This record gives sequence, structure tokens and C-alpha cells, in this order.
Amino acid sequence: MLEIGSTIGGIYKILNVIGKGGMSVVYLAMNEKANKQWAVKEVRKDGIRNFEVVKQGLVAETNMLKKLNHPNLPDIIDVIDNDDTFIIVMDYIEGNSLSKSIEEYGALPQSQVIMWAKQLCDVLGYLHTRTPPIIYRDMKPSNVMLSPDGKKVTLIDFGTAREYKSQNIADTTCLGTIGYAAPEQFGGQGQTDARTDIYCLGATLYHLVTGQNPSEPPYEIRPIREWNPSLSEGLEKIILKCTQKNPDDRYQSCTELLYDLEHYDELDALTQKKQKNKLRVFIALLAASAVFLTSGFVSLNLKKGETDDIFNEYITSAENSSTSVEKIDNYKKAIELKPEEFLPYQRLVEAMIEDDVFSSDEVSVIRGYKTNIKALSSDEEYPQLAYDIAKMYWSCYEKQSSENVNQNILNSAEWLDIVVEYKDFKNYKTASVMKKIAEYISSTQQAFSQVDNEKNADDTKELFEDLKNMIKEIENDTSDILKLKTYDIIRYIISQSATDFKKAGIQKTDVIDLLSSIKSGVELIENANFEDEEKEILTSVEDTFSTIDTAYQNSRGGN
Amino acid sequence: MNYLVQASTDVGLTKATNQDSLCIKVMTINGSRVAFAALCDGMGGLAKGEVASATVIDALSQWAEDTLPILVASGNLSDHVLREQWEQIVSEQSKKIMAYGESIGIKLGTTVCAILLTDDRYYVLNVGDSRVYEVYDEVKVITRDQTLVQRELDSGMITPEQALNDPRRSILLQCVGASYNVYPDLFFGETKKDAVYFLCSDGFRHEISESEIFQAFNPSVLESTDAMKQNAEYLIELNKNRKETDNISVALVRTF
Repeated sequence: MLEIGSTIGGIYKILNVIGKGGMSVVYLAMNEKANKQWAVKEVRKDGIRNFEVVKQGLVAETNMLKKLNHPNLPDIIDVIDNDDTFIIVMDYIEGNSLSKSIEEYGALPQSQVIMWAKQLCDVLGYLHTRTPPIIYRDMKPSNVMLSPDGKKVTLIDFGTAREYKSQNIADTTCLGTIGYAAPEQFGGQGQTDARTDIYCLGATLYHLVTGQNPSEPPYEIRPIREWNPSLSEGLEKIILKCTQKNPDDRYQSCTELLYDLEHYDELDALTQKKQKNKLRVFIALLAASAVFLTSGFVSLNLKKGETDDIFNEYITSAENSSTSVEKIDNYKKAIELKPEEFLPYQRLVEAMIEDDVFSSDEVSVIRGYKTNIKALSSDEEYPQLAYDIAKMYWSCYEKQSSENVNQNILNSAEWLDIVVEYKDFKNYKTASVMKKIAEYISSTQQAFSQVDNEKNADDTKELFEDLKNMIKEIENDTSDILKLKTYDIIRYIISQSATDFKKAGIQKTDVIDLLSSIKSGVELIENANFEDEEKEILTSVEDTFSTIDTAYQNSRGGN
Repeated sequence: MNYLVQASTDVGLTKATNQDSLCIKVMTINGSRVAFAALCDGMGGLAKGEVASATVIDALSQWAEDTLPILVASGNLSDHVLREQWEQIVSEQSKKIMAYGESIGIKLGTTVCAILLTDDRYYVLNVGDSRVYEVYDEVKVITRDQTLVQRELDSGMITPEQALNDPRRSILLQCVGASYNVYPDLFFGETKKDAVYFLCSDGFRHEISESEIFQAFNPSVLESTDAMKQNAEYLIELNKNRKETDNISVALVRTF
């Protein structure tokens, strides 16, 4: 370790440690004469099994890096080679890594992510076009520094990726610690090349816009709009193309990728057009196939009896299962057998609701069946099923951060959209208020990236009325957990909008009344299973009372 | 239900340290007996893997002593409660280990598997590629490996034959201490009388076959703790004869 306060190479005074990696420590250093700050990276001998080999590699890589010059790369200023340490002096990059940003904010605004993506694409392209080409191999949010104004990204931590990975692979390793390795980066699976970096850039973008780490369950890259339907379809296509398993199916160069990133909104329009065309083709095919339908049914019927038996067996054993896990499992098997049957979906959702827990596994099960379920809209129980799924998202019981709760509300929106098409449905009123609240939450999320955050007074008043209605609607619901969660969501919106309420001319007493009705609503629920939730919400309610006080006081002070 | 318990562990042929940790407890609560066993396979540079595995075992062991008796005595033991508590322990430990790793600049982590046996029901926890088995009239793996290869196998990307020699064999999907969020798998079932339940690190199972496991661990040959010790050590030696290089550990519970 370098000593704090010591001077390296007679020029750089070590101020403090700013980072630690697997093989190295990074210090902030000062060149006192020039009054400029530098980053000093020390590769420690004690952290590395075969230091000499690694050091030789480092010398070669550093020499190569010294020749590079790109706005999104740190400049290497000096290399000091001692017997037991290897020191690299480079630009000190102010700001935080993108992994810090995800940790703090969850999913990041799409427009910003695309701006950074273009810069990263540009710098990777620059590296790939050197002779010989340089493959970065370790693209991930923690290796990208974001400038304090949020506009510029810098790629850091060079040249260690290769050695580090080939060393580790023999031992047991965790997927989480090896970043977003592309399939070909695991031993024996072909060469890594520019397309490896493109894969990892795609995985990075996915993590940034969805807040979902691809190295965590479900361990795969889903279309981004499954997480957040308001994201761009074009960006979804770009990310999916970057992260194809087979390198031949990805963008073949950063130039190709950069072009699409610059035109991602045009891709949106293009797919919409294509879908319309698809529909036209589909209708034409449907008309043509009508002729053949009768003969088709005959051949299907031959095997049908057999399938029916197994199907019924699964349904029966599901009904007799003692745990919801077994039940769910049996219904899933039944669905696999006959995906066109409505009943197992309905029962599956009932089984998931039964235990009042809607786990992340269950979320992904439902997500997987989405298209299937929507194809069954002719069933008369369809609105009930859609309503149950929406409720499930609302009452998502697992403790999560506030962003995730919002995410579940957003996910419920598309199911509520279905319910509100059925005006005679018994829970139509509740569903339509739920939908309004979901829309409101969705609009606050989008507003995150917009400068103009002003809300108009009429909208705010309408929101306030909706919240009041929602409380009336929910009082009669039978599910305690749904009630609790809904109360909490309304409370959350009140706490977020207190200032807007004041601005829109809503009386403080009215807001207090609304919050008090939440409080008494929560207190009325006596369910031992949710005592903790109740306590938590009541604490938040108290905090929200103070938020209201502050909001109304502050504005008064300003008058 | 009554239980016989036994455990064996071996550093193996090549490693400098044994990074596996384990614990087994049998308790009598309100007149009925429960058995709890846990096993962790640590990993990490500079022999720190054992810190990770021992930390998690300590936490689970503490839970078994402090909380478990209350749960059982109050009749509040359920799949749901156990899932909640075990998930919480695992995620707390993961954060703790991660913070420790960051403070000294290394990456470390551990697998964890655990089983709680009561009169009528068993509860199993798993993160990583250690396993819990049930041996009755056949050898049954209760857990599902959280490994990249298992996942590829499940999704039909590779065949079982390819899986055996896949270069990615040692990559875990997750472990305790490597990520902020850890998602353990839980398994539940009926406790069988006169059955053998055992936990093992991956070093114990790569080189030996299911029929060898059945021969040494079927309930009819494990009628005393001495026999359990002897047969566990026999299988460990068998592994070493076949050049298994990893740490090898196994924890056994026989019900009667």
C-alpha cells in the first residue's frame, strides 16, 4: 500500500484511497506544482498469484493505452515500475460510477441512457478500430464513470479484464462477480471479439433502463418493456439485438449499433407500421385458412382424448395439493399441455392469491403467460382474471423498495386497461380508479426526465378526488393486504403531491382528512399476518402528516 | 421422530485450506424433536472463503438456537414464516460479507444449503451448488443446483452429457456474498421415517455415482452413528482416490 501523504516519483502526493479492485488500489494524488489532481493506480503484488506474468501484461497494455486518445477515455500520464508494485498515473475522473447511480435511483431515464450509450458506442468503436483491435471485455456500469453534470461518461479500469477472468474460471465463481459475460466469454466457447463488447454494452443498457441486473434472477435479458411499458420499442429492439447468444446475430460493429441508437425513435415508428402490415397479412391468412379448418380438426381429434386425460389429471392433483407451490406447479403443467384452456390460468392466479404472497417468481410466471391469457379474451371470466392479476400486482407483498412498488403498479396498468373495457363488470368502478392512479404514477415517472414539472391545478384537483374515491372503493374489499397496499400507495402519492395540492388550492384540512381516513382504515384492519405492514404504514402516515405541514407552511412563508 | 446425526469434512487433495463449514443440531421442543443441519461451501481469494462460509453457518446456527424453539413451541412454524426468516438471514449475511469483501478489496462468497426436519415436514434452503439429498428406496436430490450449466440444461441448450464436461461447470448463478440481492430456493415435503437426509458440498458428489451413494447411505446400512461416520469417510476417500481436488464435506441425518 502507498502511504497517505507520501510522494510518488517526486511529483504526485498521495491524498487518499478512492477505490479498491481485485488487484489494485486507486488513490487520489495531487501534483502540487501544477495544482492538478490525478488518479494513481497501484497494482499490489500480494493480491496476485503470479505477479510477474500479470505485470508484463500490464506493462504491455499500459504502453498501448498511452497511445490512445479519446474524450471518453482517461489519459495515462505516467507509469512507474517498481520491483513489487506497478503504478499508473492517469486523469482523475470526477463523479460517480453508473453502478452507484443504479443503486441510488434504480432504473435511469431512457433519454439519458441513450445519450451515454452513444458515447460508449463511440469509444468502443474507437478501440475496436485500432491496429491491432482492442477488445475491452469488461463493459459494466461499475466501469463507467458519470460526470457530475450527468452528461459525459468515461470508460475506466482498463486491461485487467482478460487476466482476471481466465484466472478465475477454474475455481467456483459466481455469475454476479463476472459482470455480464457474453456466452463466448466462458471458456472453450469460441473467441471473443468486438461483438463481445457489443453484448456487454447491451446488457449494461438493459440494467440501466430497467434497473434489473441481468446477472440476477431471472438471469436473462427480457424485452425491456416487460419491466416498464413506457420504454421505447426501438430501444428494446436494439438491446435484444446486442444481447443475442450467437455473435453472428448481434450488431457486427459499433458503427451499426451507433446508427440505430441515433435513430431509435424511428425504429419505434417502423415497428408500428410493420405490425399493421402483419395484421393485414394475418387477416388474409385467416380468410384463406377457413377453407382448411374442417380437415384440421379431424386430425387433431385423434390425439385429443389422450391429452384430455393427462390434462384432467393435472387439474385434479392441483385441486388436491396441500401447498400452493404444488398447486401452482400442477396448473403450470396443465397449461403447458393445453395453453388454450382458460381454466388453469384462472385457478393458477387464484392459487397465487390464496397465500397473499406474490413473489418475483410468480410475477415472471404471469409475465410468461401474458400473451396466452390475452388470446383468451372471449371467455366470460376474462375481466375477472385480468382484475385478479392487477390486484395481485397491487398487493405485491414482498418487501421492496418504493421504486419496485411503483413498478408493480405500472405492470398492473395493462390488466386494468382490459377490465375497464367491461362496463358491466362488478368491480368496474374500483378498476377504473386503480387505473387512474396507475396512470398518475406512470406520469410521475416520465416526468423524472423532463424539466417542466409543473402540474395544472385542474389535474391535481381531479387526482385528489380520485384518491378520495379510491379510499371509498377499497373499504369494502375483502383482501386485507390489497387494502393495506392501496392505502400505502395513496399515502405515497399524498406525500409526493402535498405541495401540488397546496398550489391547486386544496384546503389543508381536506388533505389532512384524507390522510386521517387512511390512518383509521389501516387501524381497522386486524390481521395478525400483516401486523408489521400495518405498523410500517402507520409510521409512514405520521411522516406524511409532517410532510403536509411542511408543504403548507413553506408556501405560506413564501407569500 | 428421532434422529441420528453425523458429519465429516476433508480438505481434499490440493487445496491449502478447508473452506467448507457445517453444523447439525437436534433439539427437543415441547416433547417433539426437530433436527437442523446446514452446510456452506466458501469461495474467495486468499483463503477468505472460509470466513464467508463460517459467517453464514454462525448466523443459521444462532437462528436455530434462538428463534427456532420459539417458532416450534408457539406453533407458528410454517412454509411462509420459514421462507421469510431464511430469506432475511441469507440477504443480511450477503450484505455483510459483501461489505467485508469490499473493505479488504477481495471477492468472496459462499453457497448455503440447510434442512429443518420436524415430525411431519421438512424444509430445505438452497443457494448455489451444494445439495440436499433424501435416501429412502432411492437417491433423490431435493435441491436444484443454481448453476449456469443447470440452467442451460433446463432450457434445453445443452444435453446432460455435455453438462458433465461443460467448461462452465463451476459457475454459480448466485452465492451469498457476491450480490446485493440473493434469491434462495426453498423446498418443502413430508419427512419420511427411516430415511437418510444428507447435505454435501459439490466436492462430495462429482466423482461418485448415485448407486455408490445408495449403497453407502441407504437407511438399512446406517443404523448407528458409527456406521454413518464410517460410510461417510469411505465415500470421501473414494472421491479422493478418483482425484477430486475440492474440499469434501457431508452432513447426515437419519430418521427413525
